[in-house]
Amino acid sequence: MFGLPLLTIVAVGGAVLIILIALILWGLNFKEISA
Amino acid sequence: MIDPVAAGLVALYCIVMLAIGVWASKKIQNMSDYVVAGRSLDFWVFTMLMIGSVCSGMSLLGVSGLGFKFAWPTIWEQIAVPLSIAFCIIFFGVKMWTVAKKSGYITVQDYLAHRYESQQSLRALSAVSGIVVSMIYLAGQYTAISIVLMWLFGLPHWLALLLGAAIVTVYTVIGGLYAVAWTTLVQGLMLIIGVVIMAPIVIMAAGGFENINQVMASVNPTNVDPWVTGAGAVFTPTYIVSFFLLLTIGLACAPHVINNILCVKDVKYFKWSPLIAFVVYGIVMFLLKFAGFAGIVLVKDGLVTLPDVKNASDFIFVYGVQAALPSIALWGIFAVIVLAAVMSTTDRLMLTIGTYFSWDIYKKILRPDAPEKKVILVSQVSVLTAAVVTLLLALNPPDMLVWLIWAGIGIMFATFAVPLLAGLYWRRATQQGAFSAMLLGLVASLFFGGLSYFKINIIPMPFHFSFYAFVISVIAMIVVSYLTPPHSEKVLDETLTGWYIQKQP
Repeated sequence: MFGLPLLTIVAVGGAVLIILIALILWGLNFKEISA
Repeated sequence: MIDPVAAGLVALYCIVMLAIGVWASKKIQNMSDYVVAGRSLDFWVFTMLMIGSVCSGMSLLGVSGLGFKFAWPTIWEQIAVPLSIAFCIIFFGVKMWTVAKKSGYITVQDYLAHRYESQQSLRALSAVSGIVVSMIYLAGQYTAISIVLMWLFGLPHWLALLLGAAIVTVYTVIGGLYAVAWTTLVQGLMLIIGVVIMAPIVIMAAGGFENINQVMASVNPTNVDPWVTGAGAVFTPTYIVSFFLLLTIGLACAPHVINNILCVKDVKYFKWSPLIAFVVYGIVMFLLKFAGFAGIVLVKDGLVTLPDVKNASDFIFVYGVQAALPSIALWGIFAVIVLAAVMSTTDRLMLTIGTYFSWDIYKKILRPDAPEKKVILVSQVSVLTAAVVTLLLALNPPDMLVWLIWAGIGIMFATFAVPLLAGLYWRRATQQGAFSAMLLGLVASLFFGGLSYFKINIIPMPFHFSFYAFVISVIAMIVVSYLTPPHSEKVLDETLTGWYIQKQP
């Protein structure tokens, strides 16, 4: 796919996906505590 | 010959930046206004300031240049750099903003001085280290400015450097962080729109994404692998791990990035700004890298011939745009976009240097009774001095812009990461531990950086040079902290020290 080996797609795509999920979870769990 | 339309566009851009500087200068009443914009930045200005501070000459020229030279194994940079913004906000920002708001900090050194109860030694070491690494980083940014002006107007390197530096210095000196933040908002929008339009044009000129990958693989099959192995390989898995840490944590604790945290109006902006910054800047970074890959095809097909200069690969995106776009006027637009990217970091770096000297060294150590107006004046003179010194450094750039910028980030990583992370999360971390970690991190990074740059093979170095210095810094922090008495519970509670990001209400 895209002229790339599967390893490249899985490694790079997987890393991006994991980070996106982590940042969405951060946003959902963040508590707006005032200083 | 200078094209009048292209020259007009660049001139118009510079006038707008100067106008923002003049407007911002009217808002400056005290040091807090000058350094942290009176803690008034709203969500989008803050998010764009974070992107703009991280997005630099490396992003537009160095990233493409690196992709052109080392292909897909360098793709981790596209994830690590946008992630650094999220890391900074989450792991440093939430706590530090909360304490800063209560205690009135205007620099990260104010936090370190409070947490480690060291108003002079640690503050001075941190400020001096911040100034040194910012100047190395700044020299890389000036090189990027000169690349654009040399290309577009055929100016000599020194004159291009002087012109670029003059504009950014003037608006930073007069407008402080208000000017830096608002110019960055404009620059960031121009950068995002520009890259989203220009990079696909270069990619299409090279036959599209799939064709580029096929051509790269035909040149060398490892070009499309996520990493390489074997003798002489640079982007090996071990190197990539250290490279990822370097970019993610090193940039997150870079003085010109982490200080932005203190300028935010409300902590609730930290809820979604990490995700938005990662997505927006990630798209920009991936497109730029793909444009660098496209350069491999364009050069192979004879559509682009790089100039005969030491840092030729840094010109690949510029020359790719030139090959793909027929109009000189469009080159002018492109030049403005690159200048915007570079200046968005340059101004923040210069202000950081000015603040660190005027606030942390002059006001807090040398002249505690100095009036605020005098401190602002010292800051302005420091910015000007930093501009002159870094211009001299930038007159003789290294082979690749990105290596110079990485060296700066590497030194930041080794010097600041451990004292900051340990200070925020480890209650046993002590002043002496932080001082040793910072000093040894700085010295070791300069040592290993020197070995790496001059290719002196005393010991094998499979990781990026900064990783070794980081490990030394961690060891110093742990050993020295356990050998020295801990800080009072009162100070640790005041500075929200402990193994949590947010304290539950």
